[in-house]
Amino acid sequence: MATIGLYAWPAYQWVSTDNRDSGTFVADPVQASITPDVPLIHKEFISPDTGNGIVHVASICELSQGRLAAAWYGGTREGARDVSIFFSAKGPGDAASWSRPAKVVDRMSASKELCRYIKKVGNPVLFSGPGGRLWLVYVTIAVGGWSGSSLNVTWSDDSGNTWSKSRRLTLSPFFNVSELVRNRPLPLSSNGFAVPIYHECLEYFPEILWIQTGLTDPDIHFKKSRMTGGKSFMQPSVVALGPSEAIAFYRSRSHEKTIGAAVTTDAGATWSEPEALSLPNPDAGLDAILLSDQRILLAFNDSPVNRETLSLAVSHDRGVHWTRIAILESATGREFSYPYMIRTRDGRIHLVYTWDRKRIKHVIFNEAWIEAQIKGTMP
Amino acid sequence: MTTYLFSFVFPFLLATALLQSLAALSGRNLRGWGPALAFGLIGAGIVLFPVDGLPLARWLISLNANFSIPLTAVLFSKLVDSLFRIRLLDDKALLTCWIFSLTASAVLYPMALGLTRLDPYAAGWGFSWLFVLMFSLTMVLLAMKNRFAVVLIAAMMAFNLRLLESTNLWDYSVDPLLVVVSCIGLGCHVRRKARGMREAQGVRRE
Repeated sequence: MATIGLYAWPAYQWVSTDNRDSGTFVADPVQASITPDVPLIHKEFISPDTGNGIVHVASICELSQGRLAAAWYGGTREGARDVSIFFSAKGPGDAASWSRPAKVVDRMSASKELCRYIKKVGNPVLFSGPGGRLWLVYVTIAVGGWSGSSLNVTWSDDSGNTWSKSRRLTLSPFFNVSELVRNRPLPLSSNGFAVPIYHECLEYFPEILWIQTGLTDPDIHFKKSRMTGGKSFMQPSVVALGPSEAIAFYRSRSHEKTIGAAVTTDAGATWSEPEALSLPNPDAGLDAILLSDQRILLAFNDSPVNRETLSLAVSHDRGVHWTRIAILESATGREFSYPYMIRTRDGRIHLVYTWDRKRIKHVIFNEAWIEAQIKGTMP
Repeated sequence: MTTYLFSFVFPFLLATALLQSLAALSGRNLRGWGPALAFGLIGAGIVLFPVDGLPLARWLISLNANFSIPLTAVLFSKLVDSLFRIRLLDDKALLTCWIFSLTASAVLYPMALGLTRLDPYAAGWGFSWLFVLMFSLTMVLLAMKNRFAVVLIAAMMAFNLRLLESTNLWDYSVDPLLVVVSCIGLGCHVRRKARGMREAQGVRRE
């Protein structure tokens, strides 16, 4: 009888809680009506010049009262033991500047908080959630390179001034390794998030980390599901088209060197077979967001071989056809990579990316600027 | 906190078992409560000993944070057998454990690491076919009076209490080190069987 009770308990929890249902995607809370008609574009750097060091993998999110926050990692080189995760905030107001980058996590602090040996830290993704809580999912490595990565989460209830003790997320049965994060999470109707993650060990494939949070309960519940991505697609950038519909754009490791795309019509439970798009991909990160008229804006490296050009393209038919609208960066021998975009409540689009591994660049523009670019580039 | 404290259990058992094995290798076959207490105290001292600010046990946890319940049970059983000559898990239960873990790992690891499209690991987060399968297996083993059923019950109990860092039932049932131990255990079992058969044939010839 006791045995039956033991096995019945998870079933009871499954029936009595909402854990079985991750919820549906929440539409972007943009207010297109307040978007000014005047085209706007503004470029600035978030991080100071690193000199001989590197910075990489930036993410940005909106805080309350129109403030912004960004996170990235930096150190002497990618994968070095001195790599730390940095945090900076800005605003409110256009005249405000980014705060001096503050170290949020390094290998020593991660080691102390997680009570284990940490060799190095890596990719961070910063996002804001219900109740104004700021979330940071980041990579740590105990042994080996990126394939030895594990994911951890920490949060802040005071806009990044102080952070909770980090928590390790067990997401893989094999020593809990080879799980990485890079792309923007999607808010869910159940107060949770769908965080695009990816696996790189024997094979490369995209996954979704489903995080359920309570407004008052500091505990978090999570699970992981696989996206269809074959063995050569990773780093999914997911765009919610509706409560149950979304399209994912993949970084490609295939010989075709083109961006892949897959769709879901059941809120991420299942995904279609990935299809190759007409846009190139040099095995580099990309990002996409939905515009107010349902078009998709994509930031990507417009080359099959290098990361020297960072471009923007727009699709009006869910990724089938694309119109290149702008080249944001282009310089031989330099790297402009890992774009990450958000749209703030005022309708503006904020793009952050790695600028030649030396700095994190922030570009602000609006849909009027996109329209102007389309008119200027279309025949 | 419970999870943190439980993370010391496997390293403690491992340290104590290693101490007992070292004593046995050096010709001192120490048994009973006195040696058990002494090994336990030294074992606790080893796992709690801080190296670079971390207890030694947590260095082991850095490599694998989720030692499965069957592996912990096998180690505990071996230790109790060595110290008190009490076999908590008999040959039948151990053989079941080896077959269970090798079967589970053959299903889980290749698929979870991406060699197939299906990911059975996803079934371990909440109530699913995995729980039904585990329940059925436990019931069958209980009916067969196989002691490995108790280990599966313990794994389920540990899952409900969230004693491991993982919240996935698979991690409570199997881990990579258990697979290695199972390969060795099954190999030894097969060798013993083969030797037994050879000896039996030899007796018949005589």
